[in-house]
Amino acid sequence: MPAIPVTIGGKIFEKKGDALEFFQVMLAKYYPGDTVSDDDSVWLTGLIARHPEAAEKIGNGIRNFSVRRADYNTKCFWVNRVDGTSEKFSYKSCV
Amino acid sequence: MVSEQPLYDWLVDVGVADEVRFVRKATAAVGLSNLDCKFDESEVNAIEWARLLLAGSILSRSESRRHKEVALTIATGAVVLRSSSEVSDAGAVLFNDLANERSIELAISKGIIPPDLYSRLGTSLRIETERRKVDSSVLVQSSGRHLAVNEFQKEFWLAVSNDNGWLSASAPTASGKTFLVLQWLVDQFRAGYVSNAVYLAPTRALISEIEDGLQSLLIEGDGVRINSMPIRSGQEQANKYARRTINVFTQERIHIFLNSIEKDDSVDVLIVDEAHKIGDDSRGVILQDAIERLNRSNPNLKVVFVSPATQNPGILLEDAPDGSPKRTVDSDFPTVLQNLILAQQVPRKPREWALQIRDAEQYIDLGVLHLNNKPGSVKKKLAFIAAAVGEAGGTLVYANGAAEAEAIALLISQIPKIEKSEDEELLALSDLVRKGVHTRYQLASVVERGVAFHYGNMPSLIRREVERLFRSGKIRYLVCTSTLVEGVNLSCRTIVVRGPRKGRGHPMEAHDFWNLAGRAGRWGSEFQGNIICVDPADTDAWPSGVPVRARYPITRESDSVMNSHHKLNEYLDRMIVGDRADNEFDHQLETVSAFLLSNFLRAGSLKEAAFASRRNPAELEILDEKLRYLSERIEVPSEVALRHPGVNAFGLQRLLDHFQNYDGNLENLIPAPVESFDAYDRFVTIMEKINRYVYPAFMPEGLVPLHALVVIEWLKGYSLANIIKRRISYQEDNNRTYKLPNLIRGTMDLVEQTARFRAPRYVAAYMDVLKFHFLNIGRSDLIEDELDWGVALEFGVSTKTLLSLLELGLSRMSSVILYENIAEDGYSQQGCIEWISEHRSQFDGMGIPKIISIEVDKVLRSRSSNT
Repeated sequence: MPAIPVTIGGKIFEKKGDALEFFQVMLAKYYPGDTVSDDDSVWLTGLIARHPEAAEKIGNGIRNFSVRRADYNTKCFWVNRVDGTSEKFSYKSCV
Repeated sequence: MVSEQPLYDWLVDVGVADEVRFVRKATAAVGLSNLDCKFDESEVNAIEWARLLLAGSILSRSESRRHKEVALTIATGAVVLRSSSEVSDAGAVLFNDLANERSIELAISKGIIPPDLYSRLGTSLRIETERRKVDSSVLVQSSGRHLAVNEFQKEFWLAVSNDNGWLSASAPTASGKTFLVLQWLVDQFRAGYVSNAVYLAPTRALISEIEDGLQSLLIEGDGVRINSMPIRSGQEQANKYARRTINVFTQERIHIFLNSIEKDDSVDVLIVDEAHKIGDDSRGVILQDAIERLNRSNPNLKVVFVSPATQNPGILLEDAPDGSPKRTVDSDFPTVLQNLILAQQVPRKPREWALQIRDAEQYIDLGVLHLNNKPGSVKKKLAFIAAAVGEAGGTLVYANGAAEAEAIALLISQIPKIEKSEDEELLALSDLVRKGVHTRYQLASVVERGVAFHYGNMPSLIRREVERLFRSGKIRYLVCTSTLVEGVNLSCRTIVVRGPRKGRGHPMEAHDFWNLAGRAGRWGSEFQGNIICVDPADTDAWPSGVPVRARYPITRESDSVMNSHHKLNEYLDRMIVGDRADNEFDHQLETVSAFLLSNFLRAGSLKEAAFASRRNPAELEILDEKLRYLSERIEVPSEVALRHPGVNAFGLQRLLDHFQNYDGNLENLIPAPVESFDAYDRFVTIMEKINRYVYPAFMPEGLVPLHALVVIEWLKGYSLANIIKRRISYQEDNNRTYKLPNLIRGTMDLVEQTARFRAPRYVAAYMDVLKFHFLNIGRSDLIEDELDWGVALEFGVSTKTLLSLLELGLSRMSSVILYENIAEDGYSQQGCIEWISEHRSQFDGMGIPKIISIEVDKVLRSRSSNT
């Protein structure tokens, strides 16, 4: 089966695996507690729009993103909303 | 007088030896309960007191401890055995010969001798005793009054009042050292000789004790402030000299305090209490550093060291500036009779224990002690023997660790004779424990029966109340750990001990054991103290037997590490090569390396250091070479290294390297305010970076999240009870099993050791390096000076109101419980006082424990009298 390209935030990834790797590398360069840079936030804004529950995750609007600790000593992205609430989301679910 | 020496020896060894043995036995038996003693009244009546008392009077003039001890035995026996009123009076006169006025007062207060002793004496004896009384008193400068003192106290007072040099004083525990030092200090302030003093004590518990002691001596008109918070308000900094202050700090706090100002040359007097602790792992180096730092700021600083029964108090004076007078006051004379008693089970009879006094090389049979139950385990032995022998109260049991202390206290509390009390103070303490720690924390229930335990990480308000009620006699049995020996001034009537260990597993050395044993006998409250050593022949318990008396040898930690210079050189070499594995870190070597490096960075060579004259020049040369190599790789300025004693500048440089190579958003390097959602995650990251670059301080690595969580909760101003409750819910929500006592102790340990000790040390250093980096790259806009992390972490505060409550002098436990009821988070001290005045009548309704209300009232009273 030929690879299916995916478009996230205007960027075209030749195959799903490339997109997963891109966000995995992005996640890895942050420490827990870090706020994600403006550049990376552009990609994450595109990413979260693809989440199966995008509307709930985005809520009343995105303020910024952070990286926080998750179970088993892993990290994950969190979306911080304008109203001050936060929620984690999995980049894998979005891709 | 040399010529009298043979007479003294003859009296002790031959002349009155047998009688003294018997007096010793009969006197000791008076203080022990449930003992079948092998002598009868007629033997007591047959003592030839006239002969004995004459011998005692002669021996009281000797300068040797052995002779003086016999004189003290005779005086004590004459009073305690109550043969006749003449004998008791004569015993009191002998106490007077021994400059022991307090024991005479005790005999009077116990009704053993009637008051006005001196009027009953014949004319010539009266003149003689009155003369001695004048001899054994000192003149208090500010009041012109005389204060009755013992020989040690007198010698100390004369030496300390003499000039501005350095002084080191050493005397056994019950010699009234602290009392006299405080008395002298207050006198110096009143007479106007001193306007700014620092009193260093090694533990927070001792700090509260010293504060209380000073508070009770000072009066309204003195205008002297007592402070234990290492911060200065802006106003204070502006008129540094306007207010006379006694700062009471630990060695860590004095550094935080000094960091808050540029240079402080205003301290005139430094008192170092428990000065032998300059030999402690790591903290001893920080103490030495503090002394040197204060002395650099003021070369004319007067320094007074105080230590209990040490061998070599003079060693502390080695670093005094050239030309500065040095004096040693060294006393080894007992003020209270101490009986070392061996307790061995009678063969085939586990409930019967034979007691023997060990006196130098001789053994005196005391009789048989009857226990309530058969002691099947070590814990039961300690519990049952203590319960049997110490019914009169003031009984201290030494346990090897906190868990064992809890278990022994629980066993003692079940002895049928130990009933539940209706005493208000005990019930109030129990209530405080339930509200301040946990409803099922075992201390709450044993305290109701007048039994308690005591260990290091317990909240200080509870610990102090335990100590107070033990002193007053309401708590009759107290099971303690080595914390008590490490710096609480608590003495007792009887100590029960078996195979004492220091820290984890090391048998106590003789000087440590005697530092503990020295607490038996409360001068002025009792005539004698007993040290009961259980199973003396058991080599598991006592690998080298029950130690013979030894005084504590002082060795600076920095010296003992530098003495093994191969190890130190090797450690520095590994640092130079870099990339050390976690298991290659050693906290003793690390602290001393940090100390040396900081010295080198400041002066460019160790040859200028205060300790240089004591070291071999060749050895310093080698160290200089290695430190030079390291220092060339260090951009972190020496002022930053100096601000964080114990933290290695080379580690700080590695952290700086990380900051410099960091290409992300710089704001991510700053800790988030505790209220912020990302505070916890950032703290985890900061702690991991500290572990990785500076020193593996938060270990094991897998527990960093737990460390961070407790630190955040602590900073948020959560009470200990709340932190414990949340950990329990966490365990339960995740279906994890837990043991309540372990969880409670574990949480106390995290709060004390991580949040209040390691986190302030390392996070404050992290912040300083970060600040330096921001300044270097022109990003001073990122520096927020809102919070002093060192202070915030040690005290567990992140709001102005909570800080103000602590500044008023309240314990953290009280402050937090009050703060839970205060809405405003920006109150100054005045605002807090107003809030308290307005709401004081509602405290009961708020569920505020009584002991906290009492503390609040006390603090407000002292505020109003000192302002």
